Amino acid sequence: MPPTEYDIVIIGSGPAGATTARVAAKLGLRVLMVDKRQELGAPIQCSGAVSRHALEACGVIPVAEFIHESIYGFGIYNVAGEKTTIDYRQLKPSEYGHQNGQKPLGYVVDRRRFDRHLMTLAERAGAEVWLKTEGLSYQTDGSEYCQIQLRRFNQPIQVKAKVLVGADGLQSQVGKWAGLRTHIKITELASCLQFIVDGVKTDGLLEIITGHHWAPGGYAWVFPKGHGYAEIGLGVICTMTKKNAQWHLDQFMQQSFFKERFQNARILEIQGGGVPLAAPLRTQYAEQVILVGDAARHVNPVTGGGIHTALSGGVIAGEFLAKLIKSGAPATAENLKGYQDSWLDQLGHKMWQLYEEKTQIFRTDDIDERDRLLFQTMSQYFSPYSEYKKI
Amino acid sequence: MSKEAVIFKIGWNACINCGACVAICPQEAGFISAFDTIAVDTPCDIACMLCEDICPVTTITHVAAVNGNGVF
Repeated sequence: MPPTEYDIVIIGSGPAGATTARVAAKLGLRVLMVDKRQELGAPIQCSGAVSRHALEACGVIPVAEFIHESIYGFGIYNVAGEKTTIDYRQLKPSEYGHQNGQKPLGYVVDRRRFDRHLMTLAERAGAEVWLKTEGLSYQTDGSEYCQIQLRRFNQPIQVKAKVLVGADGLQSQVGKWAGLRTHIKITELASCLQFIVDGVKTDGLLEIITGHHWAPGGYAWVFPKGHGYAEIGLGVICTMTKKNAQWHLDQFMQQSFFKERFQNARILEIQGGGVPLAAPLRTQYAEQVILVGDAARHVNPVTGGGIHTALSGGVIAGEFLAKLIKSGAPATAENLKGYQDSWLDQLGHKMWQLYEEKTQIFRTDDIDERDRLLFQTMSQYFSPYSEYKKI
Repeated sequence: MSKEAVIFKIGWNACINCGACVAICPQEAGFISAFDTIAVDTPCDIACMLCEDICPVTTITHVAAVNGNGVF
């Protein structure tokens, strides 16, 4: 039997891959998405915060299936515990709140349910999805279709696609296959650890704790996690400390101005990950290949947030590929550059600006001054007047 | 590269499958284990040890590789 032909094959069913799949399938492309896992979203490597605006702008209706808790604003702390509160329930009570007619600002989502939901939406839009299916390699030979080798439940399978989409995360193998410069600097990958805990109160705010003393090179956070649970985590840049993230998290829980608040914390889950506080990839395309989401480093370099950027990147990728493939133009690297250009126009240029700002802060040698700059930037970033509010 | 090749060992009891080691790894595609960590059965001739540095729970160590095989 000859290999099945698709317009696009997507490797990785996270927010970026599943959104690319949904949008492309809805626009009429033949889409196959594969993921090597048996359950999506796990192991969780993410804190799960996303704005309502991001979901709605990307065609995802917020539903109880994946919402842990609604969010109404931010609490930003400096190293000594002084707080900037940005509570949209007070800033814009006509819009934000728990009452009828009011809405949340955002959500903390359950990544297992969220990723599964996004996959479901892709399938309902017409995409084919195979779990327990790993991408092994691909070859281009100058023809309309590239060959892609997969392994599904131990069974080798070959398929053909006009475009291969790498949505396989920060550890992207597709990017490496395509020879793209995906390597990230050790000074720009935060080593993160978080605990889901019982016994710690929260109030509908995403709390961000800055300061080199608590989280060198990154920040610590306390997020509401639904059902009375909270999430306490932090990320550090390991060239800025001799200790690991686990040590810093213990220190933060036991020594910080929150130690009384945390004294009854009981750990329910332990999660971690590498979060890029880096620039987007300079080249996110190659012959018959594009990258999207974490694989393309579509991550906010100041906040480390990656769900919104993955969803937006997925919409841009899906729309671009549908247009290109329907036009009959070949998926050469030259033509696929249009995807990156479109992404830069809509999101990327702002992410580059954020990267410059972030780099300026961490280039500051004086620790007190650096702490002051980070606190100020975070406080401004989440204010209603921020020019970056929608990233 | 003057560094000697190493074989990485992972303390699976502490590993939280976060993927940070693979994300920082400068090796070519495929230098991964079945558990989505860096490879543990293949010598690494780069030996930059960034995977050990980035690990949030410090559960990666290494031994010298001898003739392409590890000393276990």
